[in-house]
Amino acid sequence: MSASVAGPVDWGRALRIQFRVLGALILREMSTRFGRENLGYLWLFAEPLMLGSAIGALHLVTGHGLPGGLHVLMFWVTGYVPFYMFRSVINRSPTSVLANQSLLYHRRITLLDIMVARNLLEGGAVMGTLAIFLAAFGMALDLWPKQPALVVFGMMALLAMSHGAGLMLAAGAIYTDLIDRVIHLITYITMPFTGAFFMVFWLPTDLQHQALLIPTVHCFELIRHGLFGTAVPTTYDIGYMVAWIIGLNLAGLLTLRIARRRLVV
Amino acid sequence: MSIRLENVHKSYKLHGGSSKAVLRGVNAVFAKGEAVGILGRNGAGKSTLLRLISGVEYPEAGRIHREMSISWPLGHAAAMHYSISGADNARFIARIYEKPIAETVEFVEGFAELGQYYRQPVRTYSSGMMTRLGLALSLAVDFDCYLLDEVVAAGDSRFAERCRAALLDRRARSTMLMVSHQAETVRAFCTSGAVLKDGRLTRYEDLDQAIAAYHAG
Repeated sequence: MSASVAGPVDWGRALRIQFRVLGALILREMSTRFGRENLGYLWLFAEPLMLGSAIGALHLVTGHGLPGGLHVLMFWVTGYVPFYMFRSVINRSPTSVLANQSLLYHRRITLLDIMVARNLLEGGAVMGTLAIFLAAFGMALDLWPKQPALVVFGMMALLAMSHGAGLMLAAGAIYTDLIDRVIHLITYITMPFTGAFFMVFWLPTDLQHQALLIPTVHCFELIRHGLFGTAVPTTYDIGYMVAWIIGLNLAGLLTLRIARRRLVV
Repeated sequence: MSIRLENVHKSYKLHGGSSKAVLRGVNAVFAKGEAVGILGRNGAGKSTLLRLISGVEYPEAGRIHREMSISWPLGHAAAMHYSISGADNARFIARIYEKPIAETVEFVEGFAELGQYYRQPVRTYSSGMMTRLGLALSLAVDFDCYLLDEVVAAGDSRFAERCRAALLDRRARSTMLMVSHQAETVRAFCTSGAVLKDGRLTRYEDLDQAIAAYHAG
Protein backbone atom coordinates (compact mmCIF):
# COMPACT_ATOMS: atom_id res chain seq x y z
CA MET A 1 0.00 0.00 0.00
CA SER A 2 2.54 2.50 1.15
CA ALA A 3 5.08 3.96 -1.24
CA SER A 4 7.98 3.11 1.03
CA VAL A 5 7.31 -0.63 1.32
CA ALA A 6 10.31 -2.56 0.08
CA GLY A 7 9.79 -4.37 -3.20
CA PRO A 8 10.11 -3.76 -6.90
CA VAL A 9 10.06 -0.07 -7.65
CA ASP A 10 7.02 1.01 -9.63
CA TRP A 11 8.59 3.54 -11.99
CA GLY A 12 5.29 4.56 -13.53
CA ARG A 13 3.90 5.47 -10.13
CA ALA A 14 7.13 7.19 -9.08
CA LEU A 15 7.07 9.30 -12.22
CA ARG A 16 3.41 10.19 -11.73
CA ILE A 17 4.08 11.31 -8.15
CA GLN A 18 7.08 13.32 -9.38
CA PHE A 19 4.95 15.21 -11.89
CA ARG A 20 2.20 15.78 -9.33
CA VAL A 21 4.68 17.18 -6.85
CA LEU A 22 6.29 19.50 -9.41
CA GLY A 23 2.88 20.68 -10.60
CA ALA A 24 1.69 21.36 -7.06
CA LEU A 25 4.93 23.19 -6.22
CA ILE A 26 4.68 25.39 -9.30
CA LEU A 27 1.08 26.31 -8.50
CA ARG A 28 2.04 27.04 -4.92
CA GLU A 29 5.04 29.14 -5.94
CA MET A 30 2.74 31.18 -8.15
CA SER A 31 0.22 31.79 -5.39
CA THR A 32 2.82 32.58 -2.71
CA ARG A 33 4.81 34.90 -4.96
CA PHE A 34 2.00 36.74 -6.64
CA GLY A 35 -1.19 35.96 -4.76
CA ARG A 36 -4.52 36.79 -6.27
CA GLU A 37 -4.42 40.53 -5.68
CA ASN A 38 -4.39 43.05 -8.56
CA LEU A 39 -2.54 41.58 -11.56
CA GLY A 40 -1.97 38.28 -9.75
CA TYR A 41 -0.13 35.70 -11.82
CA LEU A 42 0.36 38.20 -14.64
CA TRP A 43 3.17 39.70 -12.56
CA LEU A 44 5.15 36.69 -13.63
CA PHE A 45 5.42 38.30 -17.07
CA ALA A 46 4.91 41.90 -16.06
CA GLU A 47 8.20 42.26 -14.19
CA PRO A 48 10.60 41.12 -16.93
CA LEU A 49 8.39 42.85 -19.49
CA MET A 50 8.66 46.22 -17.73
CA LEU A 51 12.38 45.90 -16.98
CA GLY A 52 13.14 44.74 -20.52
CA SER A 53 11.17 47.61 -22.02
CA ALA A 54 12.87 50.14 -19.76
CA ILE A 55 16.37 48.94 -20.61
CA GLY A 56 15.53 48.81 -24.31
CA ALA A 57 13.96 52.26 -24.28
CA LEU A 58 16.94 53.72 -22.42
CA HIS A 59 19.39 52.55 -25.06
CA LEU A 60 17.09 53.57 -27.89
CA VAL A 61 16.95 57.12 -26.50
CA THR A 62 20.69 57.43 -25.81
CA GLY A 63 21.03 56.20 -29.40
CA HIS A 64 24.40 54.50 -29.80
CA GLY A 65 24.71 52.50 -32.99
CA LEU A 66 25.75 48.88 -32.71
CA PRO A 67 28.43 47.01 -34.70
CA GLY A 68 26.95 44.97 -37.51
CA GLY A 69 23.97 47.29 -37.77
CA LEU A 70 21.97 45.40 -35.12
CA HIS A 71 18.69 47.00 -34.12
CA VAL A 72 19.36 48.82 -30.86
CA LEU A 73 16.05 48.03 -29.17
CA MET A 74 16.06 44.38 -30.20
CA PHE A 75 19.68 43.83 -29.18
CA TRP A 76 19.31 45.22 -25.67
CA VAL A 77 15.93 43.65 -24.97
CA THR A 78 17.01 40.21 -26.19
CA GLY A 79 20.19 40.54 -24.12
CA TYR A 80 18.51 41.79 -21.02
CA VAL A 81 15.57 39.37 -20.87
CA PRO A 82 17.68 36.15 -20.85
CA PHE A 83 20.04 37.84 -18.40
CA TYR A 84 17.06 38.58 -16.17
CA MET A 85 16.29 34.85 -16.08
CA PHE A 86 19.92 33.98 -15.29
CA ARG A 87 20.09 36.56 -12.51
CA SER A 88 16.72 35.61 -10.98
CA VAL A 89 17.59 31.93 -10.81
CA ILE A 90 21.02 32.64 -9.32
CA ASN A 91 19.97 35.38 -6.88
CA ARG A 92 16.95 33.49 -5.57
CA SER A 93 18.75 30.19 -5.07
CA PRO A 94 20.40 30.88 -1.69
CA THR A 95 17.07 31.81 -0.05
CA SER A 96 15.05 29.05 -1.67
CA VAL A 97 15.87 26.46 0.98
CA LEU A 98 15.04 28.65 3.95
CA ALA A 99 11.92 30.04 2.31
CA ASN A 100 10.58 26.59 1.52
CA GLN A 101 11.85 24.31 4.22
CA SER A 102 8.40 23.75 5.66
CA LEU A 103 7.71 21.83 2.44
CA LEU A 104 10.25 19.24 3.52
CA TYR A 105 7.79 18.03 6.15
CA HIS A 106 6.23 16.20 3.23
CA ARG A 107 8.56 13.33 2.48
CA ARG A 108 7.52 13.28 -1.14
CA ILE A 109 9.05 16.71 -1.65
CA THR A 110 12.82 16.97 -1.98
CA LEU A 111 15.05 20.03 -2.09
CA LEU A 112 15.66 19.24 -5.74
CA ASP A 113 11.90 19.30 -6.42
CA ILE A 114 11.70 22.74 -4.84
CA MET A 115 14.56 24.07 -6.95
CA VAL A 116 13.31 22.48 -10.17
CA ALA A 117 9.78 23.83 -9.68
CA ARG A 118 11.03 27.36 -8.99
CA ASN A 119 13.39 27.44 -11.91
CA LEU A 120 10.91 25.91 -14.37
CA LEU A 121 8.46 28.61 -13.39
CA GLU A 122 11.09 31.32 -13.75
CA GLY A 123 12.27 29.91 -17.08
CA GLY A 124 8.74 29.53 -18.41
CA ALA A 125 7.81 33.06 -17.43
CA VAL A 126 10.90 34.63 -18.98
CA MET A 127 10.62 32.57 -22.15
CA GLY A 128 7.00 33.68 -22.41
CA THR A 129 8.12 37.27 -21.98
CA LEU A 130 10.79 36.89 -24.64
CA ALA A 131 8.17 35.43 -27.00
CA ILE A 132 5.96 38.48 -26.40
CA PHE A 133 8.86 40.84 -27.18
CA LEU A 134 9.86 38.91 -30.29
CA ALA A 135 6.29 38.89 -31.58
CA ALA A 136 6.11 42.64 -30.97
CA PHE A 137 9.41 43.29 -32.80
CA GLY A 138 8.23 41.10 -35.64
CA MET A 139 4.95 42.88 -36.04
CA ALA A 140 6.16 46.43 -35.42
CA LEU A 141 9.62 46.35 -37.00
CA ASP A 142 9.39 43.26 -39.21
CA LEU A 143 12.37 41.80 -37.34
CA TRP A 144 11.47 38.14 -36.91
CA PRO A 145 13.92 35.66 -35.37
CA LYS A 146 15.78 33.85 -38.14
CA GLN A 147 15.89 30.46 -36.39
CA PRO A 148 13.49 30.41 -33.41
CA ALA A 149 14.54 26.85 -32.46
CA LEU A 150 18.07 28.10 -31.72
CA VAL A 151 16.68 30.86 -29.49
CA VAL A 152 14.71 28.27 -27.51
CA PHE A 153 17.75 25.98 -27.33
CA GLY A 154 19.96 28.82 -26.09
CA MET A 155 17.41 29.84 -23.47
CA MET A 156 17.05 26.28 -22.22
CA ALA A 157 20.83 25.88 -22.06
CA LEU A 158 21.13 29.12 -20.07
CA LEU A 159 18.37 27.98 -17.72
CA ALA A 160 20.00 24.58 -17.20
CA MET A 161 23.35 26.25 -16.52
CA SER A 162 21.83 28.70 -14.02
CA HIS A 163 19.93 25.84 -12.40
CA GLY A 164 23.11 23.81 -11.82
CA ALA A 165 24.92 26.79 -10.32
CA GLY A 166 21.78 27.56 -8.29
CA LEU A 167 21.80 24.07 -6.77
CA MET A 168 25.33 24.64 -5.49
CA LEU A 169 24.43 28.07 -4.13
CA ALA A 170 21.40 26.60 -2.34
CA ALA A 171 23.59 23.88 -0.84
CA GLY A 172 26.17 26.45 0.26
CA ALA A 173 23.47 28.61 1.83
CA ILE A 174 22.62 25.71 4.17
CA TYR A 175 26.11 26.11 5.64
CA THR A 176 26.47 29.87 5.67
CA ASP A 177 24.43 33.07 5.24
CA LEU A 178 27.41 34.55 3.47
CA ILE A 179 26.27 33.11 0.13
CA ASP A 180 23.08 35.15 0.13
CA ARG A 181 24.93 38.26 1.29
CA VAL A 182 27.46 38.26 -1.57
CA ILE A 183 25.56 36.71 -4.47
CA HIS A 184 23.70 39.90 -5.39
CA LEU A 185 26.98 41.77 -5.52
CA ILE A 186 28.55 39.05 -7.63
CA THR A 187 25.74 38.89 -10.20
CA TYR A 188 25.88 42.68 -10.43
CA ILE A 189 29.64 42.89 -10.92
CA THR A 190 29.78 40.00 -13.38
CA MET A 191 26.90 41.38 -15.46
CA PRO A 192 29.18 42.83 -18.19
CA PHE A 193 31.00 39.50 -18.57
CA THR A 194 28.01 37.19 -19.03
CA GLY A 195 27.71 37.87 -22.72
CA ALA A 196 24.30 39.47 -22.39
CA PHE A 197 25.43 42.89 -23.54
CA PHE A 198 28.26 42.29 -26.00
CA MET A 199 28.97 40.02 -28.91
CA VAL A 200 32.15 38.04 -29.27
CA PHE A 201 32.94 39.44 -32.73
CA TRP A 202 33.13 42.95 -31.27
CA LEU A 203 36.19 41.98 -29.28
CA PRO A 204 39.87 41.82 -30.33
CA THR A 205 41.02 38.26 -31.06
CA ASP A 206 42.84 37.58 -27.78
CA LEU A 207 39.88 38.87 -25.76
CA GLN A 208 37.58 36.67 -27.82
CA HIS A 209 39.41 33.59 -26.59
CA GLN A 210 39.07 34.72 -23.02
CA ALA A 211 35.40 35.62 -23.42
CA LEU A 212 34.70 32.18 -24.83
CA LEU A 213 35.95 30.61 -21.60
CA ILE A 214 32.86 32.03 -19.90
CA PRO A 215 30.10 29.42 -20.32
CA THR A 216 27.14 31.85 -20.44
CA VAL A 217 28.74 33.68 -23.40
CA HIS A 218 28.09 30.58 -25.52
CA CYS A 219 24.38 30.61 -24.56
CA PHE A 220 23.99 34.26 -25.52
CA GLU A 221 25.83 33.79 -28.80
CA LEU A 222 23.57 30.83 -29.57
CA ILE A 223 20.47 32.91 -28.81
CA ARG A 224 21.77 35.68 -31.10
CA HIS A 225 22.50 33.24 -33.88
CA GLY A 226 18.83 32.25 -33.64
CA LEU A 227 17.72 35.87 -33.60
CA PHE A 228 19.94 37.49 -36.22
CA GLY A 229 20.97 34.49 -38.30
CA THR A 230 24.08 35.23 -40.37
CA ALA A 231 23.59 39.01 -40.36
CA VAL A 232 26.37 39.13 -37.75
CA PRO A 233 29.02 36.51 -36.95
CA THR A 234 28.33 34.39 -33.84
CA THR A 235 30.76 32.10 -32.08
CA TYR A 236 29.83 29.30 -29.76
CA ASP A 237 30.73 25.69 -28.95
CA ILE A 238 27.77 23.50 -28.07
CA GLY A 239 30.02 20.78 -26.66
CA TYR A 240 31.70 23.24 -24.28
CA MET A 241 28.32 24.63 -23.23
CA VAL A 242 26.78 21.19 -22.59
CA ALA A 243 29.87 20.07 -20.67
CA TRP A 244 29.43 23.03 -18.31
CA ILE A 245 25.73 22.28 -17.91
CA ILE A 246 26.41 18.66 -17.00
CA GLY A 247 29.32 19.55 -14.72
CA LEU A 248 27.42 22.26 -12.83
CA ASN A 249 24.34 20.09 -12.42
CA LEU A 250 26.26 17.04 -11.19
CA ALA A 251 28.19 19.18 -8.71
CA GLY A 252 24.93 20.83 -7.69
CA LEU A 253 23.14 17.53 -7.08
CA LEU A 254 26.07 16.22 -5.06
CA THR A 255 26.51 19.28 -2.86
CA LEU A 256 22.77 19.59 -2.28
CA ARG A 257 22.59 15.95 -1.23
CA ILE A 258 25.42 16.40 1.25
CA ALA A 259 23.99 19.63 2.64
CA ARG A 260 20.48 18.15 3.01
CA ARG A 261 21.74 15.74 5.67
CA ARG A 262 22.74 18.52 7.98
CA LEU A 263 19.82 20.83 7.31
CA VAL A 264 18.04 21.81 10.52
CA VAL A 265 14.38 22.48 9.80
CA MET B 1 4.61 -3.11 8.68
CA SER B 2 6.70 -1.21 11.17
CA ILE B 3 9.04 1.68 11.78
CA ARG B 4 12.50 0.64 12.96
CA LEU B 5 15.14 2.89 14.44
CA GLU B 6 18.64 1.46 14.55
CA ASN B 7 21.26 3.19 16.66
CA VAL B 8 20.04 6.67 15.74
CA HIS B 9 22.29 9.57 16.72
CA LYS B 10 21.66 13.28 16.39
CA SER B 11 23.46 16.33 17.66
CA TYR B 12 23.07 20.00 16.89
CA LYS B 13 25.72 22.62 16.36
CA LEU B 14 25.57 25.41 18.88
CA HIS B 15 26.75 28.96 18.40
CA GLY B 16 30.42 29.09 19.16
CA GLY B 17 31.26 25.82 17.44
CA SER B 18 30.44 23.29 20.14
CA SER B 19 27.69 20.74 19.63
CA LYS B 20 25.04 19.14 21.81
CA ALA B 21 24.22 15.44 21.48
CA VAL B 22 20.45 15.08 21.66
CA LEU B 23 19.98 11.44 20.67
CA ARG B 24 22.75 8.97 21.48
CA GLY B 25 21.82 5.64 19.98
CA VAL B 26 18.05 5.23 19.88
CA ASN B 27 16.80 1.73 19.04
CA ALA B 28 13.10 1.03 18.70
CA VAL B 29 10.47 -0.81 16.70
CA PHE B 30 6.98 0.63 16.36
CA ALA B 31 4.54 -1.88 14.87
CA LYS B 32 1.27 -1.26 13.07
CA GLY B 33 -1.62 -0.63 15.42
CA GLU B 34 0.50 0.49 18.35
CA ALA B 35 -0.22 3.70 20.22
CA VAL B 36 2.95 4.63 22.01
CA GLY B 37 3.34 7.48 24.45
CA ILE B 38 6.91 8.77 24.56
CA LEU B 39 7.59 10.61 27.79
CA GLY B 40 10.46 12.99 28.27
CA ARG B 41 11.39 16.15 30.12
CA ASN B 42 11.76 19.48 28.34
CA GLY B 43 14.81 19.31 26.13
CA ALA B 44 15.04 15.52 26.25
CA GLY B 45 14.87 15.34 22.45
CA LYS B 46 11.20 14.47 21.93
CA SER B 47 10.66 16.86 19.03
CA THR B 48 13.99 15.88 17.51
CA LEU B 49 12.93 12.24 17.61
CA LEU B 50 9.66 13.05 15.81
CA ARG B 51 11.47 15.14 13.20
CA LEU B 52 13.85 12.30 12.44
CA ILE B 53 11.07 9.70 12.24
CA SER B 54 9.07 11.96 9.93
CA GLY B 55 12.14 12.36 7.72
CA VAL B 56 12.28 16.13 7.71
CA GLU B 57 15.73 15.91 9.33
CA TYR B 58 18.34 13.19 8.92
CA PRO B 59 20.16 11.25 11.65
CA GLU B 60 23.94 11.68 11.86
CA ALA B 61 24.43 8.00 12.35
CA GLY B 62 22.13 5.02 12.39
CA ARG B 63 19.17 4.19 10.19
CA ILE B 64 15.42 4.61 10.15
CA HIS B 65 13.39 2.05 8.21
CA ARG B 66 9.91 3.13 7.30
CA GLU B 67 7.43 0.57 6.03
CA MET B 68 4.40 2.80 6.29
CA SER B 69 3.40 6.32 5.38
CA ILE B 70 4.15 8.70 8.25
CA SER B 71 2.62 12.09 8.97
CA TRP B 72 4.66 15.21 9.66
CA PRO B 73 4.94 15.98 13.39
CA LEU B 74 1.55 17.36 14.34
CA GLY B 75 0.95 20.05 16.84
CA HIS B 76 3.09 22.90 15.63
CA ALA B 77 2.53 25.07 12.61
CA ALA B 78 5.01 23.06 10.58
CA ALA B 79 4.21 21.83 7.10
CA MET B 80 1.92 24.76 6.37
CA HIS B 81 2.33 27.80 4.19
CA TYR B 82 1.67 31.04 5.95
CA SER B 83 1.20 33.26 2.96
CA ILE B 84 -1.66 31.25 1.46
CA SER B 85 -5.09 30.41 2.91
CA GLY B 86 -6.11 27.27 4.79
CA ALA B 87 -8.16 26.22 1.77
CA ASP B 88 -5.16 26.67 -0.54
CA ASN B 89 -3.10 24.59 1.87
CA ALA B 90 -5.74 21.87 1.61
CA ARG B 91 -5.57 22.02 -2.19
CA PHE B 92 -1.80 21.76 -2.06
CA ILE B 93 -1.92 18.73 0.24
CA ALA B 94 -4.53 17.07 -1.98
CA ARG B 95 -2.30 17.53 -5.03
CA ILE B 96 0.83 16.25 -3.31
CA TYR B 97 -0.80 13.18 -1.78
CA GLU B 98 -3.10 12.34 -4.68
CA LYS B 99 -6.39 13.04 -2.93
CA PRO B 100 -9.53 14.41 -4.61
CA ILE B 101 -9.23 18.20 -4.29
CA ALA B 102 -12.86 19.21 -3.69
CA GLU B 103 -13.43 16.53 -1.03
CA THR B 104 -10.20 17.39 0.74
CA VAL B 105 -11.01 21.09 0.87
CA GLU B 106 -14.46 20.26 2.22
CA PHE B 107 -13.20 17.76 4.81
CA VAL B 108 -10.54 20.14 6.16
CA GLU B 109 -13.07 22.97 6.35
CA GLY B 110 -15.45 20.79 8.34
CA PHE B 111 -12.85 19.39 10.71
CA ALA B 112 -10.73 22.45 11.40
CA GLU B 113 -13.71 24.76 12.05
CA LEU B 114 -11.94 27.93 11.04
CA GLY B 115 -15.02 29.76 9.80
CA GLN B 116 -14.18 32.72 7.60
CA TYR B 117 -10.48 32.33 8.39
CA TYR B 118 -10.37 29.25 6.18
CA ARG B 119 -10.16 31.58 3.17
CA GLN B 120 -7.63 33.93 4.81
CA PRO B 121 -3.83 33.60 4.84
CA VAL B 122 -2.57 31.21 7.53
CA ARG B 123 -0.31 33.89 8.95
CA THR B 124 -3.42 35.60 10.36
CA TYR B 125 -4.34 32.49 12.39
CA SER B 126 -3.97 32.01 16.13
CA SER B 127 -1.72 29.14 17.20
CA GLY B 128 -4.78 27.07 18.12
CA MET B 129 -6.22 27.58 14.64
CA MET B 130 -2.94 26.50 13.07
CA THR B 131 -2.93 23.34 15.17
CA ARG B 132 -6.47 22.55 14.07
CA LEU B 133 -5.65 23.18 10.42
CA GLY B 134 -2.52 21.00 10.64
CA LEU B 135 -4.40 18.14 12.19
CA ALA B 136 -7.26 18.39 9.70
CA LEU B 137 -4.78 18.39 6.79
CA SER B 138 -3.04 15.27 8.06
CA LEU B 139 -6.31 13.45 8.72
CA ALA B 140 -7.34 14.26 5.16
CA VAL B 141 -4.22 12.51 3.85
CA ASP B 142 -4.97 9.40 5.93
CA PHE B 143 -1.45 8.34 6.97
CA ASP B 144 -0.54 4.90 8.34
CA CYS B 145 1.30 6.50 11.25
CA TYR B 146 0.60 9.74 13.09
CA LEU B 147 3.28 11.65 14.96
CA LEU B 148 1.69 13.79 17.64
CA ASP B 149 2.98 16.50 19.85
CA GLU B 150 1.23 16.98 23.17
CA VAL B 151 -0.22 20.35 22.14
CA VAL B 152 -2.68 18.48 19.94
CA ALA B 153 -4.33 17.11 23.04
CA ALA B 154 -3.97 20.32 25.00
CA GLY B 155 -5.76 22.94 22.86
CA ASP B 156 -9.27 24.08 23.67
CA SER B 157 -11.23 21.23 25.16
CA ARG B 158 -13.97 20.75 22.58
CA PHE B 159 -11.52 20.42 19.73
CA ALA B 160 -9.23 18.23 21.83
CA GLU B 161 -12.20 15.92 22.33
CA ARG B 162 -12.99 15.71 18.61
CA CYS B 163 -9.35 15.24 17.85
CA ARG B 164 -9.16 12.40 20.37
CA ALA B 165 -12.24 10.78 18.81
CA ALA B 166 -10.80 11.04 15.29
CA LEU B 167 -7.47 9.59 16.34
CA LEU B 168 -8.93 6.80 18.45
CA ASP B 169 -11.14 5.91 15.52
CA ARG B 170 -8.03 5.40 13.41
CA ARG B 171 -5.98 3.68 16.04
CA ALA B 172 -7.20 0.26 15.01
CA ARG B 173 -5.69 0.65 11.53
CA SER B 174 -2.89 3.10 12.15
CA THR B 175 0.12 3.62 14.37
CA MET B 176 0.36 6.55 16.72
CA LEU B 177 3.42 8.02 18.39
CA MET B 178 2.80 10.78 20.86
CA VAL B 179 5.44 12.74 22.73
CA SER B 180 4.65 14.55 25.95
CA HIS B 181 6.11 15.61 29.24
CA GLN B 182 2.79 14.87 30.95
CA ALA B 183 1.70 11.35 31.85
CA GLU B 184 -2.00 12.29 31.84
CA THR B 185 -1.94 13.44 28.20
CA VAL B 186 -0.34 10.21 27.09
CA ARG B 187 -2.75 8.08 29.11
CA ALA B 188 -5.74 9.42 27.18
CA PHE B 189 -4.35 8.29 23.80
CA CYS B 190 -1.84 5.52 24.23
CA THR B 191 -1.69 1.83 25.12
CA SER B 192 2.03 1.44 25.70
CA GLY B 193 4.83 3.75 26.69
CA ALA B 194 8.47 4.70 26.38
CA VAL B 195 10.78 7.06 28.19
CA LEU B 196 13.31 9.29 26.42
CA LYS B 197 16.14 10.16 28.77
CA ASP B 198 19.81 11.00 28.32
CA GLY B 199 19.48 10.54 24.57
CA ARG B 200 18.19 6.98 24.81
CA LEU B 201 14.74 5.48 24.48
CA THR B 202 13.43 2.73 26.77
CA ARG B 203 10.26 0.90 25.75
CA TYR B 204 7.74 -0.51 28.25
CA GLU B 205 5.00 -2.95 27.31
CA ASP B 206 2.77 -1.49 29.94
CA LEU B 207 1.92 2.20 29.96
CA ASP B 208 1.76 2.39 33.75
CA GLN B 209 5.26 0.94 33.96
CA ALA B 210 6.51 3.63 31.62
CA ILE B 211 4.82 6.34 33.64
CA ALA B 212 6.26 4.96 36.87
CA ALA B 213 9.76 4.83 35.35
CA TYR B 214 9.33 8.39 34.02
CA HIS B 215 8.34 9.74 37.44
CA ALA B 216 11.10 7.74 39.14
CA GLY B 217 13.74 9.20 36.79
